[in-house]
Amino acid sequence: MKKVLQSSAMRELLRVLIAITVALTLGFIITVLVSDDPIGAYKSFLFGPLTKLNRFGDWIEESITLIFLGLAVALVFKAELFSLGQEGQMVLGALAAGAVALFVPLPGYLRIPLAIMAAMVVGFLWGLIPGYLKAYLDANEIVSTLMLNVIALKIYEWLLTYSIKPPDAGYTASATFTAEGTMPTFFPPIPFLGELRTLFMQQTNISIALYLMIIATVVVYYLMYHTPFGYELRMVGANIKFARYGGINTKRTIVLAMAVSGILAGLAGAHVAGGIHRKLILNITFGLGFEGIIVAILARNNPLLIPFTGLAYGYLRAGADVMERTSDMSREMVLVIQAVIILLVTAERIMPMIQKRIRTNRAQRNGDPPADAEVIPAKGGD
Amino acid sequence: MPIDVVIRGILSPLFIASILRISTPIILPALGGLISDLAGVINIALEGIMLVSAFAGVIVSAYTHNVWLGVLAGMVVGILYALLLALFHLYLDTDIILAGIALNIMAAGGTIFLLFILTGDKGNSSTLASGAVPTVTIPFIDSIPWLGTIFSGHNIFTYLAFIFTGLVYVFLYKTPMGVHLRAVGENPVAAESVGINVKRTQAIAIALSGFFASLGGLSLSMAYLTLFQNNMTAGRGFIALAAVFLGGRTPLGTTIASIIFGFADALANQFGSLDIPPQWVQMIPYAATVIALVIYSLRRQAKQRERLRRFQEGEIDDTKTAEAGSD
Repeated sequence: MKKVLQSSAMRELLRVLIAITVALTLGFIITVLVSDDPIGAYKSFLFGPLTKLNRFGDWIEESITLIFLGLAVALVFKAELFSLGQEGQMVLGALAAGAVALFVPLPGYLRIPLAIMAAMVVGFLWGLIPGYLKAYLDANEIVSTLMLNVIALKIYEWLLTYSIKPPDAGYTASATFTAEGTMPTFFPPIPFLGELRTLFMQQTNISIALYLMIIATVVVYYLMYHTPFGYELRMVGANIKFARYGGINTKRTIVLAMAVSGILAGLAGAHVAGGIHRKLILNITFGLGFEGIIVAILARNNPLLIPFTGLAYGYLRAGADVMERTSDMSREMVLVIQAVIILLVTAERIMPMIQKRIRTNRAQRNGDPPADAEVIPAKGGD
Repeated sequence: MPIDVVIRGILSPLFIASILRISTPIILPALGGLISDLAGVINIALEGIMLVSAFAGVIVSAYTHNVWLGVLAGMVVGILYALLLALFHLYLDTDIILAGIALNIMAAGGTIFLLFILTGDKGNSSTLASGAVPTVTIPFIDSIPWLGTIFSGHNIFTYLAFIFTGLVYVFLYKTPMGVHLRAVGENPVAAESVGINVKRTQAIAIALSGFFASLGGLSLSMAYLTLFQNNMTAGRGFIALAAVFLGGRTPLGTTIASIIFGFADALANQFGSLDIPPQWVQMIPYAATVIALVIYSLRRQAKQRERLRRFQEGEIDDTKTAEAGSD
């Protein structure tokens, strides 16, 4: 176990590091070509999130969203289900959490858990639909989830505009949640750190969602590797025919995988509504739904790695925001960097090619014939 | 606006003409999606290819003041972008869906990024004077009252969409290349064993899908509108993919399915004048796609059951069973 972890994990890490280095270099080249002050722009991109507490807060808040979404994606991708429905599940999760936070007259210690539960339930239900379509009708899950995303978004906009928005509001948004409906700060009231706590509360919106995220990570890991459901999930992903012959109810597994994944995307929605914005606004997901895919891919669908890739990836995004605000570069450059990272990380041949090149070089230097016959396994991880 | 006005609007020839116009940027990429799907490579990147082509067409036509150079540039960029997908999937072993997602992200970000550099605006290219492809007036038909309104006066991409539907049919079913392509999609190992170069065939299929997607993108930015808007494809690449499945993976079926989506979209425009929440109306094409997926799946399952029943009753001979089994 340890040996496998060492070798393949090291290779994975190397692969990700190479991909990020290449992508960032490319980003720098673009910046040099475009910007009047490329060094300043790139510096704000690379170090921006660490320069002020509120920027640090933005980074952590967005990373929490990304980690929830990454976990959601990892669950379905592990079963080789290419569900892209996280965006829709997230937006409906935000809607459910927001509705509870706004309209359920309960004290905070009951209302907030209820809001979180509501988001989870709605995410689960919205995930059931493509799961059922895939399992029982063999409907392509990519197409169905993409369509359901738009439908979810329209439901959200419709309810927000016609039911949730206060009639006297000038723009389309709900009222701001009261303290009873807002997720409290992550910072525990420790006696001597009162000032620091106030500072964090003023400058950032990092909430208890941070702890929820940590719990979710552990739960998803446990679910995936230490429960029968997780075993079935991985079997369906590895070889669905084999899984079926092995007596696994693959249909049920597919439906559950999609729905459970929806729970996590729903949590992401609860976090953006009740933790970050503290009200419901149009375009509340900021297109983050798809970013979970990248977080999961970078972690090779390993739940325990997702917090790290989520933080790294959130850092890129937060840096891009700072760059856009402080220089003449637009933040979309980061989308190009993202795409390059995905391509390089998922290209199975690139690492073996580099390894082979190095080995051949070394062999030639030693006067040995090039080790062509040696086949390096192209598959890393699983 | 009262409902009867809307209904009268739907029954008018102008409405039918608008269906054809709205369907064009779905039919073209859908034909591309069909070709790559039949070759066994699902092209998720149609959306991104459309976007980069739409962008390239507008930019090149604006800077060269030549519409056709714009169209050419859009096609070349689209094909090259598709070949990037082929390179990563076929030769670097990237999962095709992940590579497709990456290319879509790059297209969305890259076009906005370049648009901002060139115009200082992230929204659209309205400050650039980009070209529009000409519309075609069909000599005789144009003068016939109803038919003239419906069939004449469209932009060339609309006519191309229908011409290509026929050509793609001929290509897929009547040429050796098309037969090879479908063989590769059905069973790559068997195709390889009879000497077909699987990777090359799939690369050609992806390039062709890039060509059709690029026409779809160009039809959006140089005919339907005459400017580039950020994310102007708005999911049409994915709807095109759905049309392939709904159309039973045949050229004619795919085009008909695309027109159904175009109809839903045109209907949404008509309903826009009614006093109902616009979100309901905007939902129609997407809900229609989900329903279409369900119908397609149910139909396919019924067909399979029927086949199984006939097989069990011993009605079909062995050669036909083999054909059924390969489906």
